Amino acid sequence: MSRPPSGALRTALVRLGASAVLALGAGQAAAQEAGIAVGARAPAVTIQDLDGTPVALGQYFGRKPVLLEFWATWCEVCEALLPSVRAAHEAYGDRAEFFGVNVTVNQSPARVRKYVAEHHPPFRTLYDSEGDAIRAYEAPTTSFIVIVDRAGKVAYTGVGASQDLLAALRSVTAP
Amino acid sequence: MPLRAIAAAAVVLSLIAVPRLPAQDSSKSGQPSKGPPTAVMVSGPDSGRRAPTFRLPWANKDGVGPADQPYDLALDRGKTVVLAFYPRDFTNGCTAEMRTFAEQYDSLFGAAVVVVGISTDPLETHSRFAASLDLPFRLLSDPTQVVARRYASNDRSGYLRRTVYVIGPDGKVQYRNLRFNALDPKHYAELGAAVRRSRGG
Repeated sequence: MSRPPSGALRTALVRLGASAVLALGAGQAAAQEAGIAVGARAPAVTIQDLDGTPVALGQYFGRKPVLLEFWATWCEVCEALLPSVRAAHEAYGDRAEFFGVNVTVNQSPARVRKYVAEHHPPFRTLYDSEGDAIRAYEAPTTSFIVIVDRAGKVAYTGVGASQDLLAALRSVTAP
Repeated sequence: MPLRAIAAAAVVLSLIAVPRLPAQDSSKSGQPSKGPPTAVMVSGPDSGRRAPTFRLPWANKDGVGPADQPYDLALDRGKTVVLAFYPRDFTNGCTAEMRTFAEQYDSLFGAAVVVVGISTDPLETHSRFAASLDLPFRLLSDPTQVVARRYASNDRSGYLRRTVYVIGPDGKVQYRNLRFNALDPKHYAELGAAVRRSRGG
């Protein structure tokens, strides 16, 4: 489901059980589609990369901001979002870690490897074969982006092709 | 107060109660609940309870079904039926879910199982959505959420909650997930296992 970037106030409203119309805006899904709350502590899950190497996200939390994008090779919205992710990486790649969490539904490692080789997304690809990160971050859909601040807390969530990642990263990388 | 009035009041209270929805059918998964629902709803039939029958208009990849021949759950007694309530056609999560159902139809369900998707979308949209994904099953339109309400899948947003039910040949609910996640491979695996149990596999 496409929705604009979330903020702390809106997330608080969601958590308080405000109507999904108010929380997510017109044309949006039910509250269960909202994803992890802004302000929550980012879950320190461990996911394997495409080579089978375990990557503990927790080792990055508290050191530098982290951007997670939940994506799939079949996700057209993710493809439309890719230029924004590239621009964000170009601007903040030296100050933040970028991970692409492949959701593995209708995917195979070979298919993902092929896509990565052809498109060179600007993140380290993780393969969430058991859905651990999906459940931990309550990822509602592909193109879901979570930005974790230096303190290890969720500072931003959003879905869709039109996300202002530069602004979101600017706020978490500011001195 | 007469007994009949007390009983009626109890029924009304049970209908407007706001339950804390389990992340899964807790008796099976043991997983904790995740946050309160945003809508006032009935609790929906739990495992072992009789699935409420209903009739709804349908569409598939070939077009809109005849108005005088709606989908009728009662007519599928004797078969395993999967009801998949979802928010909206052509959106990312719903596309992921329906695409997965289509591409893994044989392993998840099998030919003898009846699968229907249900949302508030109009039939014409359903047909285009089904055609775009080559869905081998029907999509039902529930614009007033009258059926969704009976299955705890309604929401004030105007879009249904993402839930799945497996109804056995005896017409009783054999499995449900009231927080089905379209991206979670574990949820699909649990659904497939429930269908196999229902089929006696």
